[in-house]
Amino acid sequence: MFEEFSLVVAPGETLAILGPSGCGKSTLLRAIGRLIIPQSGGVETSSEIGIVFQEPRLLPWLSVEKNVAFAARGEVERARVKDAIDLVGLTHAAHLLPKALSGGMAQRTSLARSLIRSPQLLLLDEPLSALDALTRLDLQVAIARIIRETASTAILVTHDIDEALFLADRIIVLEGAPASVATILEVPPAARRVRSADLTPERNALYAALGVDTPPIASDNRTTRLFRIR
Amino acid sequence: MAIQSRRIFLFGALATASTFAVARPSRAAAPDAIGIDYAYYNPPSLVLKQSGWLEDALKPSGAQVQWVLSLGSNKANGFLAANAVQFGSTAGSAALLARTNGTPIRTVFLYSQPEWTALVIAKDAPYKSVVELRGKKIAATKGTDPYFFLLRALRDAKLEQSDVEILNVQHPDGRVALERGDVDAWAGLDPHMAASELDAGSRLLYRNVAYNTYGALNVREDFLNDHPDTVQTVLRAYARAHSFAAHNVDATAKIVAAASNLELRVADRQLKLRTTYPDPTPGAAYHEALAGVVPIVRENGLAMPGTDIEGALASLADPEPARAALHA
Amino acid sequence: MPLLLLAAWWYATAFGGIKVYQLASPAEVLRELGSLATSGELWKNLVASIVRVAFGFAIALVLAVGIGTSVGLSPPIERIVDPTLQALRAIPSLAWVPLLLLWLGIGETAKIVLIAIGAFFPIYVNLVAGIRGVDRKLVEVAEIFGIRGFALARRVVIPAALPSLLVGARIGLTQAWLFLVAAELLGASRGLGFLLTEGQQISRTDEILTAILLLAICGKVSESAMRGIERRMLYWTDGMSS
Repeated sequence: MFEEFSLVVAPGETLAILGPSGCGKSTLLRAIGRLIIPQSGGVETSSEIGIVFQEPRLLPWLSVEKNVAFAARGEVERARVKDAIDLVGLTHAAHLLPKALSGGMAQRTSLARSLIRSPQLLLLDEPLSALDALTRLDLQVAIARIIRETASTAILVTHDIDEALFLADRIIVLEGAPASVATILEVPPAARRVRSADLTPERNALYAALGVDTPPIASDNRTTRLFRIR
Repeated sequence: MAIQSRRIFLFGALATASTFAVARPSRAAAPDAIGIDYAYYNPPSLVLKQSGWLEDALKPSGAQVQWVLSLGSNKANGFLAANAVQFGSTAGSAALLARTNGTPIRTVFLYSQPEWTALVIAKDAPYKSVVELRGKKIAATKGTDPYFFLLRALRDAKLEQSDVEILNVQHPDGRVALERGDVDAWAGLDPHMAASELDAGSRLLYRNVAYNTYGALNVREDFLNDHPDTVQTVLRAYARAHSFAAHNVDATAKIVAAASNLELRVADRQLKLRTTYPDPTPGAAYHEALAGVVPIVRENGLAMPGTDIEGALASLADPEPARAALHA
Repeated sequence: MPLLLLAAWWYATAFGGIKVYQLASPAEVLRELGSLATSGELWKNLVASIVRVAFGFAIALVLAVGIGTSVGLSPPIERIVDPTLQALRAIPSLAWVPLLLLWLGIGETAKIVLIAIGAFFPIYVNLVAGIRGVDRKLVEVAEIFGIRGFALARRVVIPAALPSLLVGARIGLTQAWLFLVAAELLGASRGLGFLLTEGQQISRTDEILTAILLLAICGKVSESAMRGIERRMLYWTDGMSS
């Protein structure tokens, strides 16, 4: 399914895997997460891996707090539950049941849960695809903050170019089936803190790599404001 | 309403509605069909069913005969109440209770005078008298002669119904219960009683001929009023079977054995030892036998409040149809 | 609706030409109810039936949960056990009566077994369906966290299957009451089904209807109780009724 390639991720780096639907980016992520075994080749990773899926996958009979605690083994990890909930900004919702949560809140819970075991590697499989546009923007900011505050190494799979540009240090673009690497793009750190509009060259490069026409940027203030780091 | 209560209520409603749905003989002209029961405790009915005499007698009028098996007086009374049969065979006592509680029937023919019930105990049971049954389990079918017999036997032994535990089972099941040891005694009924004696060695703890209240053929009052001629025809056919049973014990025994799937020696015991066939017209003797049941009904609260047992007793028997049929 | 039926009933017996041997009037039923109450018979029969249903249902619940979870979680067990149970399930209540009469006689055991049979199948069937229907995605998440086998069943599968289990239990309880009436044909000396049969045998329609009325009330009360339990235990569900 994949053409041969090898990938090295540096600690503390956020890597984004970008590609059209069906190109195998989720499969790649799952292989990394040891959810599936590749037919040839191998995956060498550190031991503790946290995964966030596209659906929150919370146990509906447990509150936010208990869902997060679900991943905890032992007292040490249980003590982290409160901090994790604070980190994702759900302190005042800790007692709520999943049926009372919005999509964004549910994903935040899922994120907090994935952090309990202090993973060295965080895998995010299109975590925001199921959310509405505004919530997505909100959560992108939150994820950026969380990655920074926990000094995590993260691999993010997404089909959203702006999201990749916002969150990643390096972007790998996959194309076609069998999937192959089309481009690897380095996103300069400073560049990630400005408006998306100023990353036009990078955006254009990515769209070109994906073989898609560049859409115009929504140039209103709302977008700009949301992209600023809080 | 919950599904459960709705279901049960509907069942009750349907059960009563079915009384109207069941084949009702037409009012004015001769009926198209007659429901009549047969039972193992009514040998003439088995003779009549097998011989086809009733069908022959009714052929001119074109009426069909529907035979229904009654496993006991209680069943027969149920069929009569629902008008599923127009002629039902019960014990006299059961007919009295049914009429007291409102079922509109008249006894028009006595098909036999049997000693068909007694208190039965297992072969190796230690009991010598009824009073030893205090606190024990007794199987009986409510609403039948054995049940009344049991109550009278208890009364004679100065026991109340509450001094024993009476389990309500149909006659054949009562026999099984006794032989399995699930109950200590059984108010038995022939032929099952005879079979139990012969096959399992069960013994009769208490007998009392006078407490057996005749085999009564009952007809629905409305049918009697509307189709007196048909009733005559049926009774004449029945008299033929009655006479046959009285004068051909061996042949009748064979018929009973075949019908009930019991051995010939069982039927022999039932018929030769314990059944006689006096004049089938219900008369003073019948009345007297039933008078003994009245206090039992009263003391045990079997009649609905506000009913008139004596009145029922007085009006239960109707000797006219039999007289006309037999001496015509 | 009940009031309408009550009015129709009263009318039919008072003016509609329905005789007492076909259907007793509401007044007669009330009177019989009263007389049973004062003589203590009401309580005796009620308790006898309630106890039978309670025991039968409890046994069915324990067995159904035990067998159901095994079948739901283990394909080999499912292959061995399920087809037989599905076949047995099709047997109607009255067909069991002669069989149990033969094997167990007419004691309490036979009655409770019959009731347990009636209650068992809805619980079992619904539980297995509930387990099979558990969201695979939840199970995957738990497995990622290293939760397998018995802990997985206990922490994820069973709680997720709980709504189905409770629905099955509610249906099972209704079945238990239905099977009670059949059970009390097996030579009872007490109970609501016994009153029903006795009334029929001695031609007392007031007793028949009293028994039916009491059975209906019991069925309704136990159903409401089950629904209350469901509401409390399923606080987390997101369905239309929540």
